[in-house]
Amino acid sequence: MIRRVTGAAAAAVLLAGLAACGGGSEEGGAGSATTELTYWMFQDRTPQAGEVVEKIRTDFEKANPGVKVNIVKIPKDDYNTKLGSALAGNTVPDVGILDQPLVSRFAQEGTIKEVPAGTLNEADFWEGALNTNKVGGKLYGFPIDHTAVALFYNKALVPTPPKTWDELKSISAGIHQKDPKVAGIVVPKGDGYGAWMWPGVVGGAGGQMVDEANKKILFDQAPAVEALQLWVDLLPSSPREITDSDQAFANGLAGMMISGPWDVATIKDQFPDLDFNVAPLPYKTTPAGNIGGENAVVFTKGKNEALAWKWLQHLTNSTNNTTLAQALGGFPVNKEAAERDAATFGEQQQAFLEQLKVAQARPALPQWIQINDEIIAPALESALSGKMTAQESLTDAANKTRALLGWNS
Amino acid sequence: MASPVVAQRPAETPARPGRRRRPGIGRRDHLIGWLLIAPALVYFIIFLLYPALAALYYSFTEWDLHSAPIWVGLQNYTDLFFDDVKYPHFWKSVQVTLQYTLVAVPLTLIAALGQALLINSIRRGSNLFRLLLFLPVVTAEAAVGAIWRWLYDPQYGLVNAVLGLVGIPRQNWLNTPELVIPALAFIAAWQCGISMIIYLAGLKSIPESIREAAVIDGAGPVQRFFKVVVPMLRPTTFYLVVTGIIAALQVFGLVYVIFSGGGNRSVTGGPEQSGLAYVLHIYLYAFRYNAMGAACAMSFILLVFIMIITFVQFKFMKQEAS
Repeated sequence: MIRRVTGAAAAAVLLAGLAACGGGSEEGGAGSATTELTYWMFQDRTPQAGEVVEKIRTDFEKANPGVKVNIVKIPKDDYNTKLGSALAGNTVPDVGILDQPLVSRFAQEGTIKEVPAGTLNEADFWEGALNTNKVGGKLYGFPIDHTAVALFYNKALVPTPPKTWDELKSISAGIHQKDPKVAGIVVPKGDGYGAWMWPGVVGGAGGQMVDEANKKILFDQAPAVEALQLWVDLLPSSPREITDSDQAFANGLAGMMISGPWDVATIKDQFPDLDFNVAPLPYKTTPAGNIGGENAVVFTKGKNEALAWKWLQHLTNSTNNTTLAQALGGFPVNKEAAERDAATFGEQQQAFLEQLKVAQARPALPQWIQINDEIIAPALESALSGKMTAQESLTDAANKTRALLGWNS
Repeated sequence: MASPVVAQRPAETPARPGRRRRPGIGRRDHLIGWLLIAPALVYFIIFLLYPALAALYYSFTEWDLHSAPIWVGLQNYTDLFFDDVKYPHFWKSVQVTLQYTLVAVPLTLIAALGQALLINSIRRGSNLFRLLLFLPVVTAEAAVGAIWRWLYDPQYGLVNAVLGLVGIPRQNWLNTPELVIPALAFIAAWQCGISMIIYLAGLKSIPESIREAAVIDGAGPVQRFFKVVVPMLRPTTFYLVVTGIIAALQVFGLVYVIFSGGGNRSVTGGPEQSGLAYVLHIYLYAFRYNAMGAACAMSFILLVFIMIITFVQFKFMKQEAS
């Protein structure tokens, strides 16, 4: 008896399941066959961000009848691992976010598709953001939202932010002279993070890290050496024993620091009394900056290529790009959106919008993260700790990079 | 279930000399035996044996986790050992890990034994102290990192404040290459709870009669400690040294949380790679630089090294109580 009852129950559950499946497919059909597009992105930072993405998705589905966009959200820390397994297991998304430094690797391997001519109007986007999608001069993805670092300054200690390197040095010296317990600026360290910010400073002296087209390492030349020397010169007025303290800038122990927009929110939240603002990075000859953020690409093994490009156009058009970028925690890359909506960003965010206009993409080399972490970071540290001069350590690092890449000059 | 097996011991069936119970599959009770260990066996094969063998295979390949692995023979191994352009910090990570092990293991054992002796000597409230001293072990690694970054803070840190009382000048603990390993080892010693519990069990198993005999013979507390307690604890110490060294050579979580700091900082192993533990180095190559083949090779080098070290200890260290 019991067996019969369980049997019936199992059958009922099974039927219900089948019915649910049937219902699902009919619902989405709307007369014609449904085309499903799978899009992978990082997990939402806030519930509000989820709503923004949801609205952009339904708008797209309304404009494209018979299309269903299936958004898969993955925690940022697991994203690359999951994507790696998906690619190995042939269960790739059609389109998805891709970490900037991975674009060049994936492009060279043929894992992602080149953007077809006419899909994207280059003039619509900031050059630096666009260039993070270029490998060997060809475009492999859409910039979605980007961000940069800029100069945070404590208004009580720095009434007018420095515009040039000389001003930066004298303001830093002045702060420390006035109160030896306070550092001028939190000088970045010789770690992967410092090495990520440093190209923005090199750019400020008119320099570049590498010339990929001609396979030349440039970060041992004058602008780079001057950029590193600037950090070395700032150290006497910015002792490490002050700036290595947790949240030195927010605690009022340093007059300035270089950081990204994520710190604006943190400081406002945790240090509501700190009166600070953010200015573009000081420069020597040319305004410049670094860039980081999210790009999206179309996978070779995915389906519905045309629709995938259309989806990316939808995410980056001037209507959607600002709200999407704000939801994702970055800044719009679409020029029209960025300029029109600049006022919707807070006072402390304006400098980042300025930085994005002059930002330079990092070199499109698959080994770049490794070069950044394993070669450039230690070289910065050697100079900052006084073990070598800026020129010596950069010459050494450039030679190591040449050997690693097999470049001759 | 086991009784029929016991009943058919060869000694009790002299009628068929030479015919011994056939080990292996085929008999009903053997089948049940296999069934009973099956979950553990399946777990072992799927989650330990297969990944280990796969890692061994990948260590002979160049593999970036998503395209097909390319067979390169021993190149990963030779490059790791000899090519300091490709792997500039491999030997540094070996050096850091050995230094850390040499400092952290003795420090942990001394702290554990000290705590165990103290707890063993008090009559009331030993449970409470045992709990308190064990807490660091069950604290989430991320919290440990946050707490100790605060304690070691060059401006506000409690460590500097305490040392300041005895006139030792302020140090920038986690940012001075020479101080990084002692600072890390100290945290490891603070987390010695498991060793402490094992030592405590060891202390409890020393017969009271031996202590009394020593007292009658006129041995003082110091003599009793070195002549009775330490020799009697030798098996415990041996076990803790062997497992402690294995754990120290694989240190990762601690270094990772101490140096990763705010979310946007990338982990390159502290100032001048002074905290670049071997396993952190493996992690960077596996998941940051997409060089899984080389990372697998590094894992195997570590495995072989641990096997050798452990073998040497079993061979040359006194294990018996005396």
